[in-house]
Amino acid sequence: MQRTQATLLSLFLLLGAAGTAHAKPWWMRGIESNETDFLPPDVAFRVAARIDGSALKVRWVIADGYYLYKQKFEVKAESPDLLVSAPQLPAGVVKTDPYLGTQEIYTQQVEAVVPYTRIDAGAHPIQIKVTYQGCAEAGLCYPPITKVLFPNAQPALVAPNVPPYPWESIAITAGAFAFLLAGLVLRKGRKLDVPA
Amino acid sequence: MNTPGLRLLGAALVALLGIWAGLKAYSVRRAHEIPAVAVPAGVASAPNRSDGAASEAAVPHPLVPARLPDFSLRDLTGKSISISAWSGKSLVVNFWATWCAPCRREIPLLKTISAEWAGRDLKVVGIAVDYPDKVKDFAGRFKIDYPVLIGDQDALDVAAKFGMASPAFPFTVFTDRRGEVVALFLGELHRPQVDFILSEVQDLNQDRIQLPEARRAIADGLQALAEKQAG
Repeated sequence: MQRTQATLLSLFLLLGAAGTAHAKPWWMRGIESNETDFLPPDVAFRVAARIDGSALKVRWVIADGYYLYKQKFEVKAESPDLLVSAPQLPAGVVKTDPYLGTQEIYTQQVEAVVPYTRIDAGAHPIQIKVTYQGCAEAGLCYPPITKVLFPNAQPALVAPNVPPYPWESIAITAGAFAFLLAGLVLRKGRKLDVPA
Repeated sequence: MNTPGLRLLGAALVALLGIWAGLKAYSVRRAHEIPAVAVPAGVASAPNRSDGAASEAAVPHPLVPARLPDFSLRDLTGKSISISAWSGKSLVVNFWATWCAPCRREIPLLKTISAEWAGRDLKVVGIAVDYPDKVKDFAGRFKIDYPVLIGDQDALDVAAKFGMASPAFPFTVFTDRRGEVVALFLGELHRPQVDFILSEVQDLNQDRIQLPEARRAIADGLQALAEKQAG
């Protein structure tokens, strides 16, 4: 079925659809023409990172019919004060392809444990750069994908709280105070003509 | 502070303080919003400024061209070759990479097609979006005997000319002898699909059908083949 979905991009070359459909990324053209196409890479492979004690946990959720190569995973520190060790990955499924050899792959989901240390007690937010690469079983491979993630302390798959913006309330208060003060300064010394 | 001038100056200063505080708050909030968008709901990282996918969402994708665009890339010997070198022939332009398993799997089929159509008005051309050394090594080991052009960013630019600005591989473009793009096939090619598309290209080349008719027939034919495979 994936192959069914995969091979019909030529539908978009129908002249009637050419005007609007082609302004969209290739993976959206299927939707435009009422066909199901290959998934866009960010939907096929969803990634999130969280802080869990002394380790970062990076988790990929992989769509049905798609897989990621174990040997293509990379996690690097992006924050200047962050040191990360090599990601610890579970054993994958061995996939033997006559044209690519034997590879370990992951389907459905995989979590990498990345031990980390910080060298200045957290002056910078933790940022990591992750790289991964995968394919669709139906016969399509995505180039390596690199993303910068900001791991948070929230449990995975739970919406984090919106971070507070302390400067916002300070600014609103300061602005209101400034206008009040400006009014008082301008008013000082003025006298209202009060009719007798 | 008794003079009107001093009062005005004081008022201006506090007003400036208010404006500064507002701007500061706005900039700080914007800075916070970037990671908030990049990691929505703690589930999946959406692209941010530091990866290519962000610009992909922002940059409009070009149209899949009605005709084969002109471009040049280097071949296995490093010589620059224009795609117009094969003008007048129908083309099967296959975009691939050595790290891509389905790309590797379809190479034997492309070699077979190339051999079967040798001396006729059809040419298979590979475009490898990869490192030249890897492609040369691979082409030697797999004995690829049809023309292979190589590039990195320049090959990606060529892919973008076909409407594939953020390509996945393989994908294959079929043109007729007039250079009209008849089909763009995303994913691994198989014999039934290639035969069907090429039969339509042949009909086009011999003026038995018109281009819109051929495109529709290919779309319907591929759909039928896919349903047959799925069923």
